[in-house]
Amino acid sequence: MKHEASASGEGGAAAAEPVLTPTMVAGIQAYFSRYPNRRAVILPAFHVVNEHLGFVPRQAVIEIAQLLELPPAEVYDTLSFYGLFKQDRPQGRVRVWVCRSISCAARGGEEILDYLCHRLGIRPGETTADGRVSLDYAECLGACDFAPAMLANDVLWKDLTKDKIDAFLETLAEEGESSPDAT
Amino acid sequence: MPEYEPVLLANLGKEGIETLEGYEAHGGYRTLRRVLKEHSPAEVAAMVRASGLRGRGGAGFLTGLKWSFLPENHPGPRYLCVNADESEPGTFSNRVLMEGDPHQVIEGTILSCYATRSSTAYIYLRYEYPLSFRRLQAAIDECYAAGLLGKNILGHDFSLDMYIHRGAAAYVCGEETGLIESLEGKRAWPRIKPPFPAVEGLFRKPTVVNNVETLACVKHILDRGVDWFRSIGVPPKPNDPRDPGSLGPKLYCVSGHVNRPGCYEGPLGLPCREVIERFGGGVWKNRKAKAAVPGGLSTGLLAAEELDTPLDFDGPVRAGCLGLGTAGVIVFDETYSMIDFLHNSCRFFAHESCGQCTPCREGTHWALSMVERIKAGRGRLKDLDLLLEIADSIGITPGTTICGLADGAAWPIKTAIGKFRAEFEDFIRRTNPQGYMATEPVPALVENAAQAPASGPRSSKGKSESFAANS
Amino acid sequence: MPTALIDGRELQFGEDERLNGIEAARRLGIEIPHYCWHPGLSVVGSCRMCLVEVGMRDPKTGQITMLPRLAPACNTPVRDGVVLVTDSEKVQRARAMVEEDLLLRHPIDCPICDKAGECRLQDYHFQYGQDQRRADIRPFTSRRRDVGDEITLFVDRCIMCSRCVRFCREISGTSELLVVHRGTHEEIDVLPQFPLKNKLSGNVVDLCPVGALCDKDFLYRQRVWYLKSHPGVCTGCAMGCSTWIDENQDRVWRIRPRENHLVNRWWICNDGRYDYPHVHSDQRLLCPRQRVGGRWIDRDWSGLVPELDERFRRAGRVGVVLSPFLTVEEAYLLATYARRVDPEAAVILGHLPVVGQDERFPGGFTIAAEKCPNRRGVEAIVARWMGRAAAWDVFLNELPSLGIRGLWVTGGYKRPWIEASVAERLAGLELLVVQDLFASPLSERADYVLPAAAFPERDGSYVNRHDHLQSVRWAIRPPRGVRPEGSVFWELLGRPGLYDAQKTLSDVAAEIGYFHVAAGPIPEVGVNLKVNLLA
Repeated sequence: MKHEASASGEGGAAAAEPVLTPTMVAGIQAYFSRYPNRRAVILPAFHVVNEHLGFVPRQAVIEIAQLLELPPAEVYDTLSFYGLFKQDRPQGRVRVWVCRSISCAARGGEEILDYLCHRLGIRPGETTADGRVSLDYAECLGACDFAPAMLANDVLWKDLTKDKIDAFLETLAEEGESSPDAT
Repeated sequence: MPEYEPVLLANLGKEGIETLEGYEAHGGYRTLRRVLKEHSPAEVAAMVRASGLRGRGGAGFLTGLKWSFLPENHPGPRYLCVNADESEPGTFSNRVLMEGDPHQVIEGTILSCYATRSSTAYIYLRYEYPLSFRRLQAAIDECYAAGLLGKNILGHDFSLDMYIHRGAAAYVCGEETGLIESLEGKRAWPRIKPPFPAVEGLFRKPTVVNNVETLACVKHILDRGVDWFRSIGVPPKPNDPRDPGSLGPKLYCVSGHVNRPGCYEGPLGLPCREVIERFGGGVWKNRKAKAAVPGGLSTGLLAAEELDTPLDFDGPVRAGCLGLGTAGVIVFDETYSMIDFLHNSCRFFAHESCGQCTPCREGTHWALSMVERIKAGRGRLKDLDLLLEIADSIGITPGTTICGLADGAAWPIKTAIGKFRAEFEDFIRRTNPQGYMATEPVPALVENAAQAPASGPRSSKGKSESFAANS
Repeated sequence: MPTALIDGRELQFGEDERLNGIEAARRLGIEIPHYCWHPGLSVVGSCRMCLVEVGMRDPKTGQITMLPRLAPACNTPVRDGVVLVTDSEKVQRARAMVEEDLLLRHPIDCPICDKAGECRLQDYHFQYGQDQRRADIRPFTSRRRDVGDEITLFVDRCIMCSRCVRFCREISGTSELLVVHRGTHEEIDVLPQFPLKNKLSGNVVDLCPVGALCDKDFLYRQRVWYLKSHPGVCTGCAMGCSTWIDENQDRVWRIRPRENHLVNRWWICNDGRYDYPHVHSDQRLLCPRQRVGGRWIDRDWSGLVPELDERFRRAGRVGVVLSPFLTVEEAYLLATYARRVDPEAAVILGHLPVVGQDERFPGGFTIAAEKCPNRRGVEAIVARWMGRAAAWDVFLNELPSLGIRGLWVTGGYKRPWIEASVAERLAGLELLVVQDLFASPLSERADYVLPAAAFPERDGSYVNRHDHLQSVRWAIRPPRGVRPEGSVFWELLGRPGLYDAQKTLSDVAAEIGYFHVAAGPIPEVGVNLKVNLLA
C-alpha cells in the first residue's frame, strides 16, 4: 500500500530552528494595532516573512501561529491558498512574473514567456540553479496598456519584445538586480 | 458628442501631484474641508444617493443604495474596504488612478467613510501593484501628518484610520466577501449571502466595499455637485422608474490589438467602436476588429458587428454580454483565433476559482480540460454543446454558485461559442477529422489540464498510486 | 401559525422555530439532498446540492411569486409565506449537474471503498444523477494519506464539503484539519507536526459524506450492507451518549453516534466509539465456574440459579453490590431478590471508576470523568432500600461489623477495577458470587464466578448524570455460556417466562418515585426523570 506523507510536508517532530528573526517578529507585531484581532495579521505576516526570507517555510507558519495565538493549521490553510508564496525554498533574488492573461497573450505574451524559459533554462515555477532568478507566470498584472508586460520584483517591464528580454537579462547579469532604468 | 472634460484623470502628469503638497496645490482636499464643515454624514450619503453613482468595480450596484443598507443604530465599528484588488483581465484603471493621483483616491475614501460613518478604511491592494503601494502608503503617511487622517480630522468629530492590506495574487479577492475573508486572514472563500456585508461584513461588523474608481467619483460628486454628475452619461429611461441610468464619468481601459492601449476617460455610454477608434487609435497594423471584450474578460465578447454597442450598464447586456463590468475593452483583430481566446479565458478562471463550490470548481476545470483537448486536436463537435451547457449551469445568474466568478467564467464561453461557432466547428473538423463526430467520452490528455499550484509542483490528478493487496 | 408551502404541500410550524429549507421539507417527508450542510455545524452553502426554487406567497391574494434563481435550501430561512419547490425540472437539472461535477474527478473506488452502501455520492447518483458519463477523464484510484492515529484520508475521494474542517474548528476546537491549495487542487490535509489528535476525531468519519475520511478501526473490515444497526447507549461514561451498534452475526463491528438532542446531539467521543473490542475479547469469562475445594470446575446454567438461590437463603445475612454498569432493571431485580432473601440485606452501589476530570469541548460536548453509565440509576435503586447512598468504599470498611455471610457482586467492568489487597477483605465470606466480564483478584476469591453480559448484550435502561433515562434492547446475543444479568435475576426471583425489561421498568417506576415518569413506553431519545417530574 503506497502511503503518502502529508502533502503539507515531511513528517518529523524534531523541534526546528526558529526562522523568525526579532526584526521580522517586530515587523509582524507592528500590524497588531491595525486590526481588532490577530487573525487578520496572517497575510501581512506572510509578506513580512516573504520579504525577508524569500519564501514562507513550514517553520515560519508554526511561529507565526504562535505569535498570533492561532492554530497552526489555520495559518497554513491560508498560506496554501495563495500561490504567491513559495514554501519549499527561497525565490530567486529576482522574481519574474510574466503575465499570461488575455491582453498580454494577444500581443505575444506567451511567446515572450517561452523565450524567457528558453534563455533562463527553467520552467515557470522554478528558480535558476544559481538562485538568481525565479520565473512565474502571473494572471493579469493590470499592465495591459504595456502588454506584453512582466514584473521583476518591484519593477514593471513594459512592451516586451525579445530584444527587451535580452536587455533585461543583461541588466541581471551586470548588477544582479533589475534596474528601474531599463524600461 | 459634447466635449468631455476629464476629472478623474485631470491631475495625471501634473508635477508632484502624488504628494500632498502637489495635490493641494491643484485644489486637493478642498472638497473634504468644505464637506466636513458644511455637511453631515447623512447629507453626504444623500448626495451620493441622489447622484445615481453606480459601482465601477463590475457589478454596477447603486452606491448610495448599498450604503443605505448599513444599519442605523449599530454601535459600530463600521468598516469601509477599498477594493483595489483589480484583477479583471483588461482592467488597469484603478492602477492608473492610484499611481497617478493617489490623494484623489484617498480624499474620495475619506469622504465616503465620513458618509458611512466608518472608523477604519482598509485598502485591499493587489500585490502586483508595487508602485501603487509605495505611492498610496506615502500619501497616507502624509495625510496622517497633516491631520487629514487619524483622530479628529481637521478638528472635526470624525476619526478615521486608513491602512493598506496587501493581497497575494488571487482574483477571487476582488469579490466583496472574498476580499473580506482574505482581510480577516482566511482563505478567500466568498460567503453565502445573506447576511450581506452591510449588515455583517468585515469582522462581522457593518461593512461597505467600494471600488477605487467609485470612491474617486464620490469626491467629484461632492466637489461639483449632483447635477453635474447627472449631466454626464446616460440618463434613466423616462418611462422606467426602476432604471437608474448610467451616470457620470467612466475610465475606459483599451488594450489588445489597438494602436494606443491605455486608460481614457469619457462619459458613460460611449459606443465601443468609438472607444476603440478615438481612444485606442483604432485596430493595429491596419487590421479590422474581429471581436472585442467590452468590460473585462468576464463580460464575454462583442462580435465585430456589435461594436456600436454603447458601454453603459445596459448596452453590453443587450448584446449578450455579462454587463459593463469594468469597461476594460480588449480588442482582437481578424487574425486572432477564438480558440486561443477561449483557452486563455478558461485557463484563467480555472486557475482563479476559489474551489469552494462544486459547479465552479469542477465546471471551470472541466471546461478547461475540454478546451485543451480541442486545442490539441482531439475535440468533438459535441464538446461545444457541453461547454455551453456548463456555462449555462454555473453562476449566480442561475443561482448555482456562491459568487459571480462563475458567471465570469461562463460568459466568455457562451459568447465565444455562441458568436463564433463556425470558427470552432471548423477548427475541430480540421484538427480532428477522424474523431470530431464522436459522442462517447474521450480520454483526457495525460498532463493535468489545470496549472499546478505555483508554490511548487504537487502531485495531482492523473498520478495514481496503486494499492498493494496488503495495507 | 406560520405556514410554508413546499412542493404544493402546506407546512405549519411554530412562531419561534428557525427552520431552513432542508429541515422544513423533512417535516413533510421530503428529503432535499445535501452534502455540506449539517445541523451541528456552521452553514457554508458550498456543495450546491440542496438548490431549490424559492418564492413567496402573498398572504392576501395567495399569489405565488418565484425568484428567478435557485437558492440553497440550507441557507433559506423558512418563514411565513415562503414557497419552496424541490422537484421541478430546473432543480433536477441543477442536482444532476452538481452530481456529475462531483463525479468528474472522483476515483473509481467503490469496490474498495468503505463507504459503499452508505455513501451519499452513490445514493444521490442513483436518485438524481445523469444517466450517462459525458466527461473525459482517466479512471484512477485514490491516494491515501494518514491524518491521525484513528483516521485515514483517501485524498481524491474528497468532495470538499469542508464538514470535517468545520468540525475540528467548531466542535472539537482543535483545528487540525485544513484545506490546502485552491480550486480543483484543493485537498484536505494536516500539518505533520499537528496530526488529527483529539478525543472527538472519530466523528469526522461519520460526517464525511463519502469515503474520504475513513476509520482505521473499521477499514476494510465489513461491508455495511451486512451490518444491522441497533440503537444503544454508550457505557463509557456518565454522559450516556446515544449510539448505533452495528453488528453482523452477533459481532460488533462499529459503534456510531445516534442523534439525540437531549444528550449527545450528533457526536460521540473516541472512548465510546472504540469501546467494543472488549466485547469480543478472548479474555472474557465465558462460562459459570465454581470453586470447590480449591479447584475450579466449569458449570453450566441448568440448575445453577436454583442452587445459588438455595445457598443464599442458607447464608441468611446477605448483601448485593450493584455495579454502575448494571441497567436499572437488572439492579432492581437483584436488589428485590436480596431483600426477599434477607429483609435487611445490604444493597450497595458498586465501585465507581473515575479517571481524571471532565473534558469539555467548545461545541458543548463533554466527556465525564465518571466512567460508568448508570450511577444515578443504580444509586436510586440503592437508596430505595437503604434510605441512603451506600457506597462501595464505605461498605468495605463497614463489612466486618455487618455480619454478612453471602455477597453477590456484579461487575461488567471493562478494565481492572479491584486490587488483590481489597479483594482479600472479602475473602472470608461464606458465599461470594462474582458476576463480571473479566477475571479479577475478586473473582479468583469467589465461590461462584458468573460471566457477565457486555453492554450490547443487555436489555434495560441507563440514567445519565443529567437524570436522563434511555432504554435499549440487546443488539447481539452473548457468547454461549454467558447469560445476561437480567435473565439470571429474573429467574432468581422466580418470575415466569423471559426477562422483560419493559415490564420491570414499569414496576420500578411504580415503586420508586425517582423513576416515576418512566412508567410508559420510553421514546428513542429517552426521557428526563427530573424535567418531566410532576409535582
